[in-house]
Amino acid sequence: MTFELELQTLWAALVLYVLAGVLAIVGVALQHKPERMVLVLLLFGLVLHTVSIVMRWDRLGHGPYITMYEILLSNVWSLLAIYVLAYWRIPAIRATAAVVMPILFVMMGWLLMASPYEGHLPVTYHTIWLFIHIGFGKLFLGNVLVAVGISGIILLRKSPYGSVCLVRMPEDSRLDELSFRFMAMGIIFETLMLIVGAIWAQDAWGRYWAWDPLETWSFLTWLCLAFALHVRVTYKVSPQVGALMVIAVFVLAFLTFFGVPFISISPHKGAV
Amino acid sequence: MILKFLASLKLTLVILAALGVAVLTAYLSETPTTWALAGPLAAFAVNLAAAVVTNPVFRHQTALLVFHLALIAIILLITVGRLTYLKGQLELAEGEVFDGQLTQEERGPWHLRQLDALHFSNEGFSIDYAKGVRRGVTRNQISWTAPGGEIQRVVIGDQTPFILSGYRFYTSHNKGFAPTFIWYPRSGSSPVLGTVHLPAYPLHEHKQAIEWTPPGGKIPLWVMLQFDELILDPAKPSEFRLPTKYQIVVRVGDERRELKQGEAMRLTEGVLVYNGLRSWMGYTVFYDFTLPWLLAACTLAVLSLAWHFCCKFLNKPWDKPT
Repeated sequence: MTFELELQTLWAALVLYVLAGVLAIVGVALQHKPERMVLVLLLFGLVLHTVSIVMRWDRLGHGPYITMYEILLSNVWSLLAIYVLAYWRIPAIRATAAVVMPILFVMMGWLLMASPYEGHLPVTYHTIWLFIHIGFGKLFLGNVLVAVGISGIILLRKSPYGSVCLVRMPEDSRLDELSFRFMAMGIIFETLMLIVGAIWAQDAWGRYWAWDPLETWSFLTWLCLAFALHVRVTYKVSPQVGALMVIAVFVLAFLTFFGVPFISISPHKGAV
Repeated sequence: MILKFLASLKLTLVILAALGVAVLTAYLSETPTTWALAGPLAAFAVNLAAAVVTNPVFRHQTALLVFHLALIAIILLITVGRLTYLKGQLELAEGEVFDGQLTQEERGPWHLRQLDALHFSNEGFSIDYAKGVRRGVTRNQISWTAPGGEIQRVVIGDQTPFILSGYRFYTSHNKGFAPTFIWYPRSGSSPVLGTVHLPAYPLHEHKQAIEWTPPGGKIPLWVMLQFDELILDPAKPSEFRLPTKYQIVVRVGDERRELKQGEAMRLTEGVLVYNGLRSWMGYTVFYDFTLPWLLAACTLAVLSLAWHFCCKFLNKPWDKPT
């Protein structure tokens, strides 16, 4: 009964997210501003989603970080929480919901297809460092997602239809600056994630770094992010080029977070 | 002119790209490829140092200066760490004392091996298993003699290592059964206790046999542990333990004997007396004295970078940046 209620609560949350996303996309397409309604739907969705996660945590006795279902469950929540915060605090970027929500729809669809049954909690996961490591990872990806939303707007505005629909958005240079800020926050949180991950690895496996697939691809993502930020400083690239680099970083980070742990046979898997 | 070239941001981009390629090379290569990273990291250190010396921006942006200096410190510490580290594995039967011998070892060229001077004893362990033979918490008691001469005891396992003279000993997932024998050499010299570390259990559940040569002997024996009872029940939670009903089979050439505790077997080189069954635990050992310094440098780097971005962004509001 608890398990069913937990799933029903999650589905209710997903329905609210989908409604919010559709409303945001239609709002951009029709040049309306249903922003308050979008925010309310997202907030209610987040509340239900939080309840679902708390029910699962209470039932299983551990957080949502073992199976693919749990990782998607917690990441959809954290990405939305960070995005809603940005959406609420920076009204100028609210049209980015039309870019961000479809990305999250893909994750939600994947979540619905994943098996919701419990996995085994490895003994190496009984440490506070795991929570801190995961927390910084989620903050990193959330910030990059907001930057992706802004970058999407910059690129969409180059299309004839986008130039009409997104005419009320701030100019590209201002969006580019905002995107840079979120990427800068992203590199801070990713660096912290790597440091804390190294502390955890030292405790769990007796080595702080061993180039396992997840460590390697996380470091490559960090290098890619550092490269993108440096290119922006060195060459004063156009907002469009900057936007493409942001998307490249996000794609790499996404594959690292949701791809590598599940094709790897190393012990470091599924911890993000 | 050269210094300016070395300090250029464009060179930084080339180095970052080269580092990415080096990481991929090391990752995809099947042989150790530390050298692939050494070049880009050395170039990175030079690039950072040259930038700190020549770029005037560091004179009024302290946070950025600290960040770059911390990055240089990280590269130097990693270099020193790789030159002086040690990584290895060992196995100890219950009651056995560590004498510095490792079953596998990897170390930097400047590592001053002090393991032979370190001694501790495995005093047994317990491991819980959840349903489905899923390993839970490991508790391994070990003892050692403190500098004052008193015996110290501590329980280690999983995330809790035993640290002695900078060497960090961790229990590993490898453990198993260890039949012990007393070996009386034909030469008349003193009897010696020998332990046979059978293949890891439950990893090699159905291969509980191994070739073993008695201490000081030359002729190898084949030792097997046979038991029918279920130690780790997949249907319910259980705990690692020794089997209660078992047989020890020893084979030399065509001769095969089943030995009970206290029974002897005469061999060409001496007499072998079965002493009893114990467990053995596998450990990994890691040494890198740069660890706390590396953590400090990394923390300083990330805090200074955060400080730099804070100074940069707090001047302009997030909802109206220009």
